[in-house]
Amino acid sequence: MKLSLKTVFYLLTIIMTASISEGATAKMKAYKLDLPKTVGVWTRPDSARLVDSTNIFKYMNGAGELYLAYGFNHIDVYEYSADNQEIISVELYHMKTSDDAFGLLSLDWASDSAALNDSPADKTIAPSSRTLYGSGLLRIWSDNIYARVMAYRETPASKEAVLSLGRAIVANRKTPPEPELLNVLSHTIGSDWKLRKDRIGYFRSYLVLNSLYYVSHENILNLDLSTEAVTAPYEKMSDTENRRRAQFLFVKYANPDLARQALEHFHKAYLPEHKQNFAASPMTESPNFFKLEDGWSGYKLHDKYIMLVFECPDQETAGIIIQSGLRSALFQK
Amino acid sequence: MKDERHVITRRDFIRGTVGAAVGTSILGFDWSEAEAKAVRSSLVTVVRDKNAMDSSKNVDSAIVKKMLDQTLTSFTGKKNAKDAWLSLVKPDDTIGLVPTDHLNPTHDEVTDAVRSSLMDAGIPKKRIIMAQGDPSMPKKCTALIALPALKAHWLTGIGTVFKTYIMYSGSPDSYHEENSAKLGEIWNLPFVKGKTKLVLVDALYPLCDKGPQPDPRYKWAYNGLIAGTDPVAVETVSLQILNEKRKAMRGEPWPLSPPPLCVEAADKMYKLGTSQMKEIKIEHFGWKQDLLL
Repeated sequence: MKLSLKTVFYLLTIIMTASISEGATAKMKAYKLDLPKTVGVWTRPDSARLVDSTNIFKYMNGAGELYLAYGFNHIDVYEYSADNQEIISVELYHMKTSDDAFGLLSLDWASDSAALNDSPADKTIAPSSRTLYGSGLLRIWSDNIYARVMAYRETPASKEAVLSLGRAIVANRKTPPEPELLNVLSHTIGSDWKLRKDRIGYFRSYLVLNSLYYVSHENILNLDLSTEAVTAPYEKMSDTENRRRAQFLFVKYANPDLARQALEHFHKAYLPEHKQNFAASPMTESPNFFKLEDGWSGYKLHDKYIMLVFECPDQETAGIIIQSGLRSALFQK
Repeated sequence: MKDERHVITRRDFIRGTVGAAVGTSILGFDWSEAEAKAVRSSLVTVVRDKNAMDSSKNVDSAIVKKMLDQTLTSFTGKKNAKDAWLSLVKPDDTIGLVPTDHLNPTHDEVTDAVRSSLMDAGIPKKRIIMAQGDPSMPKKCTALIALPALKAHWLTGIGTVFKTYIMYSGSPDSYHEENSAKLGEIWNLPFVKGKTKLVLVDALYPLCDKGPQPDPRYKWAYNGLIAGTDPVAVETVSLQILNEKRKAMRGEPWPLSPPPLCVEAADKMYKLGTSQMKEIKIEHFGWKQDLLL
């Protein structure tokens, strides 16, 4: 069989690409955090249990949906055991990006900083701690890893062991900044509205959105792994007794067409009685506002971004919150 | 256009029209036209003991047994646990115990207390089986005792009573998200319907936030057992306890998110009981602190 030079070149290219790719994969698989074999009285097995998208539901049932809702690679699971002690579990979630790992931490800020000699993020919008501890559970955002280290029974010894494992996880790892998208959030808006930093959530899925702020049981904003979103409430500072809140939601799509389609879907599902107004008023112009059962809502489409606000006391508030998000989005471009 | 399907949103919950929305959009049935006319009444007992768990959360089996006895006699009005059981099940029943093992597992001590109490009532050991699992399990049984633990769930809001039988469907994945409204239909499958003689919720150490994985920060020692024969009423009371705990924990409203759809659907669509608190008589015994009801 006679091969042309062109064919030989193509074959060589394919072989070289495959080799490089295999090498990279092997390197990725070989990468392991150097966790101690023993910590306190607890000892781990020699190797981790590997959980990936093919067996995640077997490992954690429906909870797997949460991790697949972010850019997910795999989990390394270790169980540290000791005689007459409850186990300590270590789950290292290897995510595709640091932003994805941050998103998992952002689902719940309600713990104390674990202060593991890691570097708190500088000048952050969200709380600056990357390691949170409460009641035996340590949660960590460390570059592209999100970790859960949990003592099934919290004692002074198990707490020390958990924190010691945390220190091993974060040691010598990079500390990238929080997702850039958070810059659309302002610490304060006008003179009266303050960001609830401890309720900021970063996500890519409507399932996660619903666990933070329920909008619909269906995916009416067309969220998927190609999107990025952040939501947080703003609280009225002068009304501390009633804690008046407005919920802000900002979504970034892969392109302007997808953003427009998503807003159309949202409007149709969420504001069906406003259909005619929607048709008459181009979305790309001024924000649209609607008086709903729980206050004023509004949205604005700009380029590949959608800004939405819910539960505002009046149209003016809805306007200033959306405008604040828009200004930040324009600044980002 | 009228033929477009209604999508359930937060607006339905705020309007109080979620029932109708679920009915028309998911279940294909307008239950607003099928409101129950008769006044219903369901009894739910809540029995608590401050010492049911020690400070390390070890369960005291003897106390749990006493709590179960109190539950049974209060609930049935019988003078002892034996008579109470025999008013609920027959000696020749094959009785399936259905605990749950996910997220916040039913304590073994609770399951064991039920088993030994049934045996004390004269039910042969061989006629008491562990019946959690696929559809073949309820088919083996003539009576079922549902033994879920009290917990919230990140995809369905609450994951207590109606999720107990999810494996009996043979397709648990088809009951997530908005389809969780259909969980009640499992209780009406021919091999399940009418078999549940008691719903006994293990509320010793509930989980009040969504998970999706075990999280000790949101567990607390309620030290209770919640029981009834109306699964909707028991779920409704369980839901109230979770909501009140969440509010107390954060010091501000913290509704379950997503809001549960299955409870009202189980009432209106599947006719499994009442989800109206005003129709539920709650009898409480024992420890009163932080009852949350």
